[in-house]
Amino acid sequence: MSMVAERIAAPIRVRARNVHLSADTLRSIVGVAALVLIWELGSHSQQWFGFRTPWIGGLPPPEAVAITWAHLVFKASYWTDLWLSFLRVVSGFAVALLIGVPFGLVLALNRTAHGVLFPSFEVIRPIPPIAWVPASILFWPTKDLSIGFVIFLGAFFTIVLNVLGGTKAIDPRYLEAARSMGASRANIFRRIIIPGVLPSILVGSVVGMGISWEVVIAGELISGGGTAAGGTGGGIGFFIWNSYVTAGESAESQIIVGMFSIGIMGYGSSEIIRWVGRLATPWLKLR
Amino acid sequence: MGLSRVPGKEEEPSGNRTFSSAAFQIVEFFKGSRVYLMLIGFGLVLGFWHMSVDIWRLPRFREMPGLVEVVREWTNSNPAFGISLFTADYYRDMWVSCRRVGIAFLISTSIGISIGLLLGWSRRFRAYVFPAFELFRPIPVIAWVPLAILMFSGRETPVIFLVTMASFFATALNTKLGVESIDQSFIRAALCLGANPRQIFWHVVIPGALPYVFTGLQIGMGVAWFSLVVGEMVSGQYGLGYRINAAYSTVAYPTMAVAMITLGFVGYICSALVRIVGNVLMQWRVRQLAQ
Repeated sequence: MSMVAERIAAPIRVRARNVHLSADTLRSIVGVAALVLIWELGSHSQQWFGFRTPWIGGLPPPEAVAITWAHLVFKASYWTDLWLSFLRVVSGFAVALLIGVPFGLVLALNRTAHGVLFPSFEVIRPIPPIAWVPASILFWPTKDLSIGFVIFLGAFFTIVLNVLGGTKAIDPRYLEAARSMGASRANIFRRIIIPGVLPSILVGSVVGMGISWEVVIAGELISGGGTAAGGTGGGIGFFIWNSYVTAGESAESQIIVGMFSIGIMGYGSSEIIRWVGRLATPWLKLR
Repeated sequence: MGLSRVPGKEEEPSGNRTFSSAAFQIVEFFKGSRVYLMLIGFGLVLGFWHMSVDIWRLPRFREMPGLVEVVREWTNSNPAFGISLFTADYYRDMWVSCRRVGIAFLISTSIGISIGLLLGWSRRFRAYVFPAFELFRPIPVIAWVPLAILMFSGRETPVIFLVTMASFFATALNTKLGVESIDQSFIRAALCLGANPRQIFWHVVIPGALPYVFTGLQIGMGVAWFSLVVGEMVSGQYGLGYRINAAYSTVAYPTMAVAMITLGFVGYICSALVRIVGNVLMQWRVRQLAQ
């Protein structure tokens, strides 16, 4: 929230807070508007000024994107695509959470399991999840399962690592205190380890959710790009890919609409997890 | 002395580790049970791979490349599908991928750190730029692929653009967090001692943000390889990601596995390099400030 210069200035100059806020809102509007203006001028430069702006010259202008979006909102297929991608993300992510959290806890609490499994885990982890897409398509019978598996991989590694880090960050004095007061292992697990790990699980989930959205788009792009244009499964990645394959300005605007839609969906899913996290860890608010 | 401890920095002993202590640790490592447990783990994973594909021939595993097949292809001087340790193509793919990541990482580091520092340091700059920044951040880099191909001509630039975008956001955001994490008493102390803003920027803000910057660079390196694979699969020519997809579509499944393992290996080396550079640089910082 606060910034260095502001922190320096705070004790010296006291300003009215609401004045600050409105100035910042104004600036944010100016910043975004400047961006849209550059985009507008850049995409029209060919017809308005007679030269092609590098890079952004090939983009559809913002108003075309807005109009395309306004049309798409009333199309059922747009919502189906979003829904299909969302379902894939949620299912892959849920499996990653269901397997990743217990796996991480076992690795963290059992020295032997850690010794046996963690090195293999670390050897497989650097392979980017996307690199698994072709192998996954080969292995799983349906496209949905193969994309779901890659989403699972992407979220799984992040969640496990965060669970491990979370248990390591638990203050050992808590464990010693509980043990010296005669707490059972089950009690320590339930009262100390679970609440201690919960914040890390949530951090891992937010990051993992971000990765899941990256992976679902990649999976849909690659598997959709592999087959003939038209795609089979649906999903917002397929939507983008089909728009890309179909040339023309309205198709190009559809690509941008698709991008922003994914951005909104991804942001929304992360916000949901943060909200659930705030409900699950009410004690963190007290700090 | 108080300044020498950079806030938020974890104590990393590895920078101070001398050769003898490293050798000692290696000896201890082999004395302990860890190395044997690790071997058991590798054995389990590889054994499962081999058994499920070649021995038991489980339903879905049967079509996958087996362990023996992959190793034989990889170490064959005359590979069946054209890619092995002895072919020039293998090293060209590696080199092309590394070059793309290298170029993109240089660009994103230089832009990302400077924008991140500005975002953390100047309230005005942040007010103008950060909302627009946040508007683009939730969009997965992967979703930029078709747009990048439209915006940039050629096959090389779209891939580099994607990788740059991916690591830029991680670097810039972490640098910003790093500047914001600096204990304000450091800045007050420097102000009391008569430092001007420029001195504070160079001697407090930059060293203070460095641990976060390197966290950002590590994440950035990870996502760089991640998005490189997508970029190469969709639009690239040569490179490890391209090789995986090409091997898939030409039914050269052992090559696919070889490229995947190589990708993990090269990606790991790159992340380790960033970590080492970070340790060296921050040790130097700590020593300089302690003098």
